[in-house]
Amino acid sequence: MDSKRKVLLFVVSSFILYLLISLFSYVLGIDWAPLKRINLLSDIVKETPIKSKDTLANAPLIVVAAKPDYNINFYQLPHFITNFNTDTTQPSLTGFSQKLHDLKTRKKRKVRIAYFGDSMIEGDLLTQTIRKLLQKEFGGSGVGFVPVTSMVSQFRQTVNTSASEGWSNDNFKTPGKKNKLFLSGYLFHSQGDWVEMRDQTITDSVALIEKSLLCGYSAEPVTVKINNNPVALKPVKIFNRIVTSTDLGRSIRLSIADTSLPVYGISFESESGITVDNFSFRGITGIEYGYLDSAFLSKIAEANPYDLIVFQYGVNLLFRPNDKNFNWYGRVFEQVTKKFRSCFPTADFVIVSTADRAFRYQGEYKSAIGIDSLIKLQAAVAYQTGSCFYNQFETMGGHNSIVDWASRKPSLANKDYVHPNHRGAEILGQYFFEAIMDDYRKYVTTKH
Amino acid sequence: MPAFDLQSFLEQFLYDPANPLLFNNGFFVCFFSIFICLYYYFRNNFKARRYIFCFFSLYFFYKASGYFVGLVIVSAVVDFYLSNAIYKQQNKRIKQLLLLASIVFNLGMLFYFKYTNFFISLSGDLFHTNFNPLNILLPIGISFYTFENLSYTIDVYRGEFEPARKFSDYLLFLSFFPKLVMGPIVRANDFIPQINKPYTLSDKDFTKGFYLIISGMFKKLIISDYLTLNFVNYIFDDPSRYTGMENLFAVYGYAIVIYCDFSGYSDVALGIARWLGFSIPANFLSPYQSKNITEFWRRWHISLSSWLRDYLYIPLGGNRKGTIATYIFAVVIFAGTFVAANLVLKLSYFTSGAITAALLLLFILPALLEKNKKGIATNLNLLIVMLLGGFWHGANWNFIFWGGLHGIALVVHKLWKLLTGKNLTQIKIRWWYKAIMIFITFHFICFTWIFFKSSDFTNAAAMIHQILYNFKFDVWAGFYNNYKAVLAMMLFAGLLHAVPDNYADKILGSFTKVPVIAYVTVFFLFVFLYGFFKSAEPVMPIYLQF
Repeated sequence: MDSKRKVLLFVVSSFILYLLISLFSYVLGIDWAPLKRINLLSDIVKETPIKSKDTLANAPLIVVAAKPDYNINFYQLPHFITNFNTDTTQPSLTGFSQKLHDLKTRKKRKVRIAYFGDSMIEGDLLTQTIRKLLQKEFGGSGVGFVPVTSMVSQFRQTVNTSASEGWSNDNFKTPGKKNKLFLSGYLFHSQGDWVEMRDQTITDSVALIEKSLLCGYSAEPVTVKINNNPVALKPVKIFNRIVTSTDLGRSIRLSIADTSLPVYGISFESESGITVDNFSFRGITGIEYGYLDSAFLSKIAEANPYDLIVFQYGVNLLFRPNDKNFNWYGRVFEQVTKKFRSCFPTADFVIVSTADRAFRYQGEYKSAIGIDSLIKLQAAVAYQTGSCFYNQFETMGGHNSIVDWASRKPSLANKDYVHPNHRGAEILGQYFFEAIMDDYRKYVTTKH
Repeated sequence: MPAFDLQSFLEQFLYDPANPLLFNNGFFVCFFSIFICLYYYFRNNFKARRYIFCFFSLYFFYKASGYFVGLVIVSAVVDFYLSNAIYKQQNKRIKQLLLLASIVFNLGMLFYFKYTNFFISLSGDLFHTNFNPLNILLPIGISFYTFENLSYTIDVYRGEFEPARKFSDYLLFLSFFPKLVMGPIVRANDFIPQINKPYTLSDKDFTKGFYLIISGMFKKLIISDYLTLNFVNYIFDDPSRYTGMENLFAVYGYAIVIYCDFSGYSDVALGIARWLGFSIPANFLSPYQSKNITEFWRRWHISLSSWLRDYLYIPLGGNRKGTIATYIFAVVIFAGTFVAANLVLKLSYFTSGAITAALLLLFILPALLEKNKKGIATNLNLLIVMLLGGFWHGANWNFIFWGGLHGIALVVHKLWKLLTGKNLTQIKIRWWYKAIMIFITFHFICFTWIFFKSSDFTNAAAMIHQILYNFKFDVWAGFYNNYKAVLAMMLFAGLLHAVPDNYADKILGSFTKVPVIAYVTVFFLFVFLYGFFKSAEPVMPIYLQF
């Protein structure tokens, strides 16, 4: 056959066959993803959406008891820290706002915040913004808690860390006992190692910075070297916070010969004002904190108390595109929150919802289909445990906002459609700070 | 029950910015089928055939980039008239002025659309001018068709051929739809004479065309798209979250992605052209098989490198001499290196000076060894061409740096040849020597891709840091488990690339007698494979380290 005719024959016969396949797949209702994806007619045929056969999606959430004057639906509001009270003129973070007000009225005191999260806050993202803004507003200096080493210590902007190679660690993901891990989810052991840190957040050149070593129990006194000077320590409690110096120094070098002392990290804070500790652990959902003993947590609360505790998790539950039911998680996370509430009695609690996270559905990135039910569940946990709730998902723009953020120029999120980048995290930090300020202003107006 | 949607059907004919026309749209299948029928029917009526071709090409352009199609038409009109005027003009000065007009017009257009914001931000950085960036969209294909215009008017000026007599000839050359979005850069003196020739096609052309189209789409739509979405993109976006191992594989992955994407598109263009009776020279020849960087540039994006050779390198003086332009550029480059080292990398005056001097020495050394003064100019010309060639890829310092690295590597390779000279002739033919050279060349190219792909230098540096200092061999098991499909795809692409160049041609030769039904079957196998990969469960990043 003439090759020109061959081209014609090939193109025309393929086209007709292709059209027929596309047509019949609609007529016969074939529901096979690869075929749907290549259907020639998909752009010009309207399909009536098939009702979900997924009964799990409608399964009841954890039981939400009705309380007078409380409305769980407040969880849907963006830019708003709610304690679900229907009287929205009242502050939600009563105790915390009062402590902020103490600082505003020039009382000397510490106001300490523990911000827990997953990889979304790794490298001090988000928390560095909150810390900076709160310290600017209410005073205080210092980067707060810094673990001995971390996966991202090379990239963390707020503190410079260098450490020798030998440090070993136990963490949530290593086998073995986890009941004495610190709030960071880590515990370090030295093999004759050293670590050096420099706080990069301090702008006030005359601020006195208190540098403390956070460590576990040792039966024998331990001699460590701080800035090359030997110091004898007696870490006799199961959790110890030992102030090594309070001066103008912004850096510390710690050498530990003892291999048995559990070391957690170092805290940089001022004697008065705001401290924000970043406790990030990649890949977790928060239920890992169930491993920690209540008695141990209470000792941490004694030596290292907090006034506000924030839990920001959820994105790691959305690791498969079609998951919709997270009730098992809600039940466990509720227990963890209750445990923390009883161990840290002086703290207010905020549960921050997951931010948006997208998957590819039929070639197009969209919010995870389970995200609404997850957020509702997170709100239910907050409601049930008497904690406050902050809807990060709605605040960042709701459905598909991560897709929008990743496509902006310059982008606000990574192309994994999970992580806001440093620009995006700064915006989220700013929003959270503003929500705190809104709440604080309510305190000021209603109490005075 | 699904129902026909008339409005969506009608909207299909309009440009949709969210869904521009590409070879993988359903619309393209219909478009191409109708086009082939008409082209075949009017195959012996050259005029009708040409007009149909122009119409379909411009319509394709419209569907791919909206009203920017106007730019193609305007630039075709301008260059068609300028080239004819240049040709007819006897006065050399006026001839030069006309050529200058064409160069200013084409480069001006390219500059406006592609580089305005780059220079606005540069002037902001250097002189604190605070101009706001303009909202300029980059018209699709502009980098390609402005270069085609330029080569055309320059060739006419040089008297290398007669300009096209009919406007439609020229318009078709410029807008020829298969090559519109991503090249190759076609030369008018190759292409225009083929427009009004009888449509002939051999069995071999048919087979080869089919092979190019299917393998090109496979490379672009399956390999490249799959690796991009399921691995490469998210690692490059935030390298510090991942271990060195993941980063290194992402670099390999990107080397595959850029080759498959670029050469895949070129191959489809070549295949379609072949089926329509046009022959366009190959644009990629298994570039990662290169044993040195000079060879790489003979195998990579050939239509661009030969364009740069003919219209930039040679006018600059090539390997014969340096021109004023050579020395002006050279001063800018070396001063720029010093300033960049001092201001951007924050190195001391001494170190910056040392780096600049070392660079300068590198470019002088081969000439000193050869005792040939002209060699200095040759090397400088090479560097200039590579820097501008880098800049052509995008208005960003990353691309300039990428080009600079290649320029330096070309000179280093020259130096290597001079130093080893004939001493290694016995070794050079050994397979292990070739293997080592391919390995080194490939890894150098991969290194340069880091800068090409990274959004900025910070990300590129983070990636290199992770590969060098945070490699973590112990994560292999977890890495392999999560990325099995990605690794298999990369391995497959690698094997495909390793096939010797002439192997495909040999095999295809024996397929000329295969009936059309077999081709149709292969085509549908491809289509379903495409559907399968497009709807496959995405590969998600995981944490390998805690």
